[in-house]
Amino acid sequence: MSDTQSSPDKSTLLQLSSSDAYQRWRLLKDKLVAQAVVIGGLSIIAAILVIFFYLLYVVYPLLIASHAESVSSYAAPEPAMGSTVLLSMEEQNEIGVRFTDTGKAIFFSVADGRVIKVDNLPVPDGLQISSFSHGGVDQGVIGLGLSDGRALVVRHDYKVSYPDNKRLITPSIQYPLGTDPLVLDANHQAITQLTLKLGDKNNSFLAKTADNRLLLITLSKKQSLFDDDVSWDRTDALLDMTSGDVDFMLIDKEFRNAYLANHSGDLTVLDINDKAQPVIKHKLNVMNRGARISSMEFLNGDLSLLIGDSSGELGQWTIVRDKQNHHSVQKLRSFKVSDAPLITINPEQRRKGLLVADANGVIGIYNTTAEREAIKEKIGSSKPLAATLSPRANALLLQTEDGQIHHWKVDNEHPEISWKSLWGKVWYESYAEPAYIWQSSAASNDFEPKMSLTPLLFGTLKASFYAMLVAIPLALCGAVYTGYFMAPSVRQYIKPGIEIMGALPTVILGFLAGLWLAPFVEIHLTGIFTLLMLVPLGVMIFAYFWQSLPKVWRNHVPEGWHAIVLVPVVMFFTWLSFVIGPYIDTLCFGGDLRIWMREEFGLGYDQRNTLVVGLAMGFAVIPMVFSIAEDAIFSVPKHLTTGSLALGATPWQTLAKVVILTASPGIFSAVMIGLGRAVGETMIVLMATGNTPVMDISIFQGLRTLSANIAVEMPESEVDSTHYRVLFLAALVLFMFTFIVNSLAELVRQNLRQKYSSL
Amino acid sequence: MNTTKTEPRRTHAIDLNVLNRPEKPALDQLETCISVENLNLFYGSKQALHDVNMQMPHKKVTAYIGPSGCGKSTLLRCINRMNDLVDGVSIQGKILLDGEDIYDKNVNVAALRRRVGMVFQKPNPFPKTIYENVAYGLRIQGINDRRILDEIVENSLRGAALWDEVKNRLNDNALGLSGGQQQRLVIARAIAIEPEVILLDEPASALDPISTLKIEELIDELKEKYTIVIVTHNMQQAARVSDFTAFMYMGELIEFGETSTLFTNPAKKQTEDYITGRYG
Repeated sequence: MSDTQSSPDKSTLLQLSSSDAYQRWRLLKDKLVAQAVVIGGLSIIAAILVIFFYLLYVVYPLLIASHAESVSSYAAPEPAMGSTVLLSMEEQNEIGVRFTDTGKAIFFSVADGRVIKVDNLPVPDGLQISSFSHGGVDQGVIGLGLSDGRALVVRHDYKVSYPDNKRLITPSIQYPLGTDPLVLDANHQAITQLTLKLGDKNNSFLAKTADNRLLLITLSKKQSLFDDDVSWDRTDALLDMTSGDVDFMLIDKEFRNAYLANHSGDLTVLDINDKAQPVIKHKLNVMNRGARISSMEFLNGDLSLLIGDSSGELGQWTIVRDKQNHHSVQKLRSFKVSDAPLITINPEQRRKGLLVADANGVIGIYNTTAEREAIKEKIGSSKPLAATLSPRANALLLQTEDGQIHHWKVDNEHPEISWKSLWGKVWYESYAEPAYIWQSSAASNDFEPKMSLTPLLFGTLKASFYAMLVAIPLALCGAVYTGYFMAPSVRQYIKPGIEIMGALPTVILGFLAGLWLAPFVEIHLTGIFTLLMLVPLGVMIFAYFWQSLPKVWRNHVPEGWHAIVLVPVVMFFTWLSFVIGPYIDTLCFGGDLRIWMREEFGLGYDQRNTLVVGLAMGFAVIPMVFSIAEDAIFSVPKHLTTGSLALGATPWQTLAKVVILTASPGIFSAVMIGLGRAVGETMIVLMATGNTPVMDISIFQGLRTLSANIAVEMPESEVDSTHYRVLFLAALVLFMFTFIVNSLAELVRQNLRQKYSSL
Repeated sequence: MNTTKTEPRRTHAIDLNVLNRPEKPALDQLETCISVENLNLFYGSKQALHDVNMQMPHKKVTAYIGPSGCGKSTLLRCINRMNDLVDGVSIQGKILLDGEDIYDKNVNVAALRRRVGMVFQKPNPFPKTIYENVAYGLRIQGINDRRILDEIVENSLRGAALWDEVKNRLNDNALGLSGGQQQRLVIARAIAIEPEVILLDEPASALDPISTLKIEELIDELKEKYTIVIVTHNMQQAARVSDFTAFMYMGELIEFGETSTLFTNPAKKQTEDYITGRYG
């Protein structure tokens, strides 16, 4: 431009009409476009980072450690009213209650120990409380065995009201079986050991009397058919006590088993289904190395026993049924809490967790499923007397022998999650052996969530593997043929045709797979396998005959149009496969391949299975892989292929040694993008897999993928719950997986491209 | 372009001194290598070659000249049947290579192309190492013996005057070579399979003058062993490297004869017009 100005005599028509303003506008446009491209690229990176960090943000609480901190500690209220036998707390952590050995229930403020209310339990005059028991921590039921063979059942209860829009909690003592003590022992011997369980239909008591008799008393509810009258049927049973002393007794909430144990570790499991005739089911010693049982409780759900011993070890025991239907009592796991005897165990009321305290005041909060020690702290300076965990397990009270009550806040939101519970084999309650299970939720509170991501990851990989097994050979062979051999006049219809296949919404593919393909495959299973063998074979046979046809006939088909000739051949052999399928069934498999497989190999057949998913998802992946690979093959410079042909190479040699090699970066990225698509695909697997999170390599079994799992469970998961966060973790895993696969693919592709990029 | 001064039109576009060569036997005294007989070629319905007849002698350099679109490249590509790859081409007539019709239905095209090597206008090495590029033609013939390959690769690279430049980097990617080196590599690749004929389709048109010179020197050496057919736009080049020249125009062979005769004393008016630069 400076040239133009310095030599105006040379200015031409062109230079005159091209104004400075236009030049500036041109440059500005160029800059704007450059900026827009940069902004676009950066915002994509930013969007991906935002997604990543949001996932991480939701998942993060799973990863942080739990902790507990002291809130206050104060002298136990009304120390004159006897020593504490049981501590408890209500839902809001406002009011605690202390039951004493003199029959008082002292309600106090959890925050500062101020007395709110004192209730006298109606223990008849002149009787002592000879034993004490809770009937399950979640019910707030307490049983008091009296010195005359009777028992009093009370429940501490809290009414919440909102006068003046302020929450007011009013504690009270209820009497589920009336204020009159219930006669347990007709001989009027003192009840020295008591356990009870109240249920909808049954109330059971196990009582040991001073003269060493063991009584099982069951009250069964009888509802009159005609009116609302309720009467109780009482069943008494005297248990055999010859086997030794009993120091710990528990009845499960289903009233099926009673567990008896003594200090030296002898555990007896009684079958109490027949309330009149309890039967000893198992008898074993659960202690070793001379340790003694120092405490025993149910874990939430009453399926497993928590046994604390004098060596500071806490064991979880449960009845498991093995494959031969034999029941046995097994130790699932144990925690080494300390070296001192574990004197109190408090199970959490809504999770598979527990609070345990040893004789030195060391407390631990554990989760059995995750095998995780969430919290371990030393509280107080003397021996604990009683401890309790609040219903929401976010606070604890512990009274020590010096009369102090310690109030601690517990921050333990997601104890169920550990590396092992997410990825490892976990021995769940009632399971015969450790297993990988995903079963995240159930209706009841005492359900043990099984959140192993392994079966989901396995399902994802399995579905992708079979989808790729279907898609890769078809898509790549199709791409090679279309890009290299096919006549351009055919190619211009074939390529967009297959690409339109990719525009099909996957939900349509999904329901076609689930509602049409799955039953079809089930009925024509033999036909499908016949098809897989017959079609390639048929094509080859046809090709052989084609070669020997007279040239006049062959010349009717121009170069690159041969695929069209194959269409009727493929259709014929497909039809033939389904026609001869039933005959093959009758001939070789006794009429039904599915039954034959089950009987010969023990292979089960699910209607919604991996074969169906492989076919449907393969179909969904083909267009993308085909399109990218075809582009790569088609764009191999013609001068390379002609160069190779000019050297005397056959078309096949040229394809194998030059075309594929030069197109390899594109083919590779086609495969990887297809894999990424298969891994993240949701609708098809959601609708066609049956969503059964099983770990079975059989192609005839269903599966559940990470993506389908998120789609299925996210709507029903409680926001910010462990389940919710684990689903986000699954999303994060999926994200990381595709991210890593794609990044690696890109690295390999760049490398290949550098090597083979031709001119 | 700042040149305002136009040079006076030359009567001859080429320097005739290069044509003064000793002992030149006449065309009909030489053994014929490739014989084109009544060749007609159609792209669809459009006729691109009209009844071409010519005999190209053994171990000589034959050059095709003519304006763009005259059919000289098409004719060249008929000799190794590269036109078969073009959609809608039909050919009538014969091309005899050592007396055999290469358009006979029993001819194995791959075997034919092994005998008739070709070098294209644009260097087209494969995205492989230098070594593998030269060995490519051998490997597709099933020769994988490392010692044989080593020897032929070296000989071919020497034959293409490239050995000294690449002997220390045989395992580097061939795409790292310069354009002129790539073209000589492609020639080495072509001579590695010891063809009888080498077709050169404007081999130097994409190269700089120094590389062009090297290629031309190479052609001079190669004709000791091979029959060479070269298509060129550059009449000086035709005059420099060829023994015989064919002038083509509008798909017809106008004149074919000894290069010196054709350039100094053309028989046809069209030839004279072309070589004196009146069109093209």
